[in-house]
Amino acid sequence: MSTRRILAVARKEIHHILRDRATLFLVLFTPTALLLLMAYALTVDLKHVPIAVLDYDRSPISRRFVAQITAGQDLDLYAQVGSYDEIERLLVQGSIKAALILDPAFARDLYALRGMPMQVIIDGTEPESGAFAVDHIARRAETFVTQALAAQLQARGLPAETLRSIDLRVRTWYNPDLKPKNDVIPGLISMVLGMPALSVALALAHEREHGTLEQLLATPIGRAELLLGKILPYIAVGLINVALIPALAIFWFRIPFHGSFPLFFALSAVFLFAILALGTLVGVFMRTQAAALALSFLVIFFPGFFLTGIFFPLASMPEEVRLEVLGLPGTHYAIITRGIFLPGVGLEVLWPYAVFLLVLGTAFTAVAALFFRKKLG
Amino acid sequence: MDAQRPAILAQDLVKRFGDFTAVNGVSFEVQPGQIFGFLGPNGAGKTTTIRMILGLLKPTAGRAEVLGLPVAQAAAQIRPRVGYMSQRFSLYNDLTVRQNLTFFGRAYGLSDAELAERMRQALDMAGLAGREHVRTKDLSGGWRQRLALSAAVLHRPQVLFLDEPTAGVDPVSRRAFWDMLYSLAAEGVTVLVTTHYMDEAEHCQRLAFIQRGRLTACGSPEEIKRSLMPGPVLELAPADAGAALQALRRAQQAGRLPPAEIELYGSRLHVVAPEAHRLRRPIARALKAAGLDPGPMDLIEPSLEDVFIASMR
Repeated sequence: MSTRRILAVARKEIHHILRDRATLFLVLFTPTALLLLMAYALTVDLKHVPIAVLDYDRSPISRRFVAQITAGQDLDLYAQVGSYDEIERLLVQGSIKAALILDPAFARDLYALRGMPMQVIIDGTEPESGAFAVDHIARRAETFVTQALAAQLQARGLPAETLRSIDLRVRTWYNPDLKPKNDVIPGLISMVLGMPALSVALALAHEREHGTLEQLLATPIGRAELLLGKILPYIAVGLINVALIPALAIFWFRIPFHGSFPLFFALSAVFLFAILALGTLVGVFMRTQAAALALSFLVIFFPGFFLTGIFFPLASMPEEVRLEVLGLPGTHYAIITRGIFLPGVGLEVLWPYAVFLLVLGTAFTAVAALFFRKKLG
Repeated sequence: MDAQRPAILAQDLVKRFGDFTAVNGVSFEVQPGQIFGFLGPNGAGKTTTIRMILGLLKPTAGRAEVLGLPVAQAAAQIRPRVGYMSQRFSLYNDLTVRQNLTFFGRAYGLSDAELAERMRQALDMAGLAGREHVRTKDLSGGWRQRLALSAAVLHRPQVLFLDEPTAGVDPVSRRAFWDMLYSLAAEGVTVLVTTHYMDEAEHCQRLAFIQRGRLTACGSPEEIKRSLMPGPVLELAPADAGAALQALRRAQQAGRLPPAEIELYGSRLHVVAPEAHRLRRPIARALKAAGLDPGPMDLIEPSLEDVFIASMR
């Protein structure tokens, strides 16, 4: 290993990156832009879900119920309709996500304490909005029925305080508002930082595609030296992103950052080494840039998305998949970012993940260097 | 370096890719300071042979030595002492002249002081002084190849491998490129060069012909002509060479002319046969029968191109 040769490759790579303004811009800002985009796409808080109401009862009680349900920002009354056909038309048009149908006996049954005969229809093609509407209506109905009950008890001269529903108080630690973005964004960071790995895979495939790789291999530059020289500049690029991204998360998304910045920086560098080494492995295996791009998505982004526990908890995965997931740098880094952002834990908790990342990076580089030899010609 | 040892030695090199044998028992030697031409049609195994000698490809069988060192064991010692220009353009198009030279200089471990000195010489040699900051892709083909050669010799290699260095380059630039090669050879650099251009082959001290993975001839240009071409060539200068060629081929098909290789050579025709002089009469008859003027006919010494084409049949 010669530091001088590694640096020669690294400097050349920097020239490549600086040469092309478009690439430079892409490499520097794509992860940040991606984070911005995905954070918005993935953390839409459900609000103002449009519903239609078909009120067969038309009593003051039923009207009060509808008014209570559509008060506030959660559900919007799109239309009062007269028939099921109209509901279907509005659902198909996409104007409403759910419909509430009140039985002709709604008020009568409520008075008689026989229940609240009603029906909710939801759009199964968008189950999240529908489930949200059902949940909201059910909660309001509960309050409504309790209030109606209390009114009746009072009317009969009974103490209404005996009516106490179960009082379960849930406290969410570390993310007290249970805002999805607080949880998703630290996880997303580990994914968007995979972008430099894509760049390094493409850079290697580019050398092969343009025949310069053969020239390189005829020089005294060793395979491992070449790979490390390729990785170094992209670690630097990645670290620029590591500085930009938390700034965005903290100042734009207003996510609390409780941990230590230097630790975050240091562990991000370790992650970048591991993910870039994976990128070189991809670059070594693929002969063309197009193929490298496809494989990068397959091994860097998709698993990062589905398997690293960013969106689906690791605990919910089958045993055999969990083992493979441990081989993905993103798994460990997602735990690191979440730990540093939300509870603000330090190295005393995170060191095993850092060690794992170092081991992965070294292993990927070694395998890439080994396969390099066999792949020419 | 051991003076008795050849600069390059290939011994029974074989390379198989699956069922396909790309190189089949190739052996040759190149003496120090020689310009050695490696000739053959596309796909004959030239590049595969060079890659094996450079240690970029592991031979299926056989061995190679460079500067007396076995390639299989001593690639790391050999690399700094050889230069290579691969078949495709070997520099980085998006980098400038200076950035390319700097990178290859550092890759070969030159110090910054050495690099500055060699860079100046390289730019002079390639005629690129004052154009250091031009992007390589903005240079014309000839300049690029000269730059590539300068980059390949920046570290003063003792042996130089050039794989079709002048493919697609205009004749003037080819001339300039070969002038660079001559001066390198004069300094004692051993050069192995593959080419398609027969005029370039004539400039080599020794040649090897390779065809379908086998060497068909090896020696000086004169030796090769003698061994592959037993006699002189009959050159025709008809008024309309194209029409004459067609008339003669038709005559051959009709059996009115004995078998012979007839090739268009500019505005002339070359007839290659074991006893070409005996064909004067039948050719004249066939052309007259077609209403064509045979024009003058001369027996000439075969060119390498005649030999090359004849050997490919």
